[in-house]
Amino acid sequence: MIAFLRFEIVRTLRNVRFLVMLIAFPVLLYLIYARQHGMSQGLTVATLLLVSMAVYSGMGSAMFASGPQLARERRSGWMRQLRISPISTPGWFAAKLAQAILLIIPGLAVLIALALTYGHVHLAAGQLGLLVAVLVLGAIPFCALGLVIGLMFDSQTAQVAQMITLLVLAFLGGIFIQWSSLPHGMQLIGKALPSYHLAQLGWNAAAGHALGLTDIAVLAAWTAGLAAVALWRWRSESTAA
Amino acid sequence: MKTASVEASPAVVFRDVVKIYNGRVSALDHASFEIARGATVALLGPNGAGKSTAIDTMLGLRAPTSGLVRVLGMTPADAVAAGKIGGMVQTGGLPEGAKVSELISLFRQLYRGRRSQAELLRLAGLSELADRRVDQLSGGQTQRVRFALALAGRPELLFLDEPTAALDVEARRGFWQSVRTIAGQGTTVLFATHYLDEADANASRIIVVSHGRVLADGTPAQIKAYTSVRTIRFSMPAPDTSMLLRLPGVSDVSADGEAVAIRSGDADATLPALYALGRPVRGLEVGGGGLEEALLALTHDDTIASHSSAVAGTKAG
Repeated sequence: MIAFLRFEIVRTLRNVRFLVMLIAFPVLLYLIYARQHGMSQGLTVATLLLVSMAVYSGMGSAMFASGPQLARERRSGWMRQLRISPISTPGWFAAKLAQAILLIIPGLAVLIALALTYGHVHLAAGQLGLLVAVLVLGAIPFCALGLVIGLMFDSQTAQVAQMITLLVLAFLGGIFIQWSSLPHGMQLIGKALPSYHLAQLGWNAAAGHALGLTDIAVLAAWTAGLAAVALWRWRSESTAA
Repeated sequence: MKTASVEASPAVVFRDVVKIYNGRVSALDHASFEIARGATVALLGPNGAGKSTAIDTMLGLRAPTSGLVRVLGMTPADAVAAGKIGGMVQTGGLPEGAKVSELISLFRQLYRGRRSQAELLRLAGLSELADRRVDQLSGGQTQRVRFALALAGRPELLFLDEPTAALDVEARRGFWQSVRTIAGQGTTVLFATHYLDEADANASRIIVVSHGRVLADGTPAQIKAYTSVRTIRFSMPAPDTSMLLRLPGVSDVSADGEAVAIRSGDADATLPALYALGRPVRGLEVGGGGLEEALLALTHDDTIASHSSAVAGTKAG
């Protein structure tokens, strides 16, 4: 499994263009807005935006590692070749998860570095450590979401499906616009999304507040649900078609 | 041998296997065969005969609708998990962004280094392509990489689904040479092809499949004997079928009015004897051999009926 993980990371990192594009957007937004003055939820704009952009970049990177690429490789037949190798289903899932987690690190590192310098964000070491832990572990449900997209959609629609999913998660989850300024109905939807809860956890960690147990529970529920769907799709594909 | 151990079991047991897609199309229709250990066997048939479905089933990529499939005495899933079987499947693509050497190295590690990198590169003829990215390879080169992956686990049983489809003549020769090397080391090989020549040259046994059924199963010589069958068609006033049946080489005669169809295993002997009967023979046609003809010979009854009625229809019009 370690060999498979290394293999997956090496070849994904070769796709530098995509990773740069993935990081460039949140970085650009950060550069535009981080120097604005003001406070919200007990955080400066620069800190608030660090969390939002890191959540956005983390969601995108975690889904990229699994979603459209998986859809393409199901079509190309690479997944068939892998299925007749001795790599186990849990091994494969674990490697995909680890790959997603490792892939969010570059974006996260760039954004934190920018926040500490350009954004003049001050975070105690403990707070920063907690924030990083939240953002890294919080990527797990999005990795599962990417797997579901990669297993449910074909190679052409997976890219679009992922883009739309990412934008819905970002807007309704209160990452691009304040959740409280959304229409009431959308607020209700937004509050059920994992992006909303990950952002809440991030902001609480950055502000030095206690992490909400509800947020953690909702993220865990999403992870379990999405992982079950992914596993079901994986199993049914291997026996039926 | 009632208490057959896993070691003593045949390489493949394929018994009464049915595979139905989408509830209607029957890709495998009660197909049965067994393959002994150490053999090199060809699964021969036209496109859509069920060869790929059969191989996918033996590799555990598809579950049969009914019937029994065992490889090396185990279920396909267990054999895959134990790394005992290898396969080159159709549309087995390669992952984007990887280099040939990385991919082969990954598979070596998945199989715990049962073959060296150099040996795999050599067997698959890839030594010069090791540093190439897999997305930059030609179709034939891609196929060779897939061959290397299939061999990485030093499998006891190797499945090759139309392995030479994208290879040129030179690469084909190298490929079959490697297959012989591997078979010589004791690996059982089952390959699918729709070329009789390829099956004849490389297999010690040929299983002919069509419409999901096993039509014939024998040595290449036996299978080739079917392909020497010719269909001779002509018209003759008031044909005497029992007399025609006594002509040399003739196995089958059907007549519909003046239209006659004769099936002969030795057309060279049949034709002079036919003319020697001294009766008017008109519009003579000899249908050629080849695999398709051999398959028709094996499923002949309804085919002849449809041919003769077609001829009769032409005459009437």
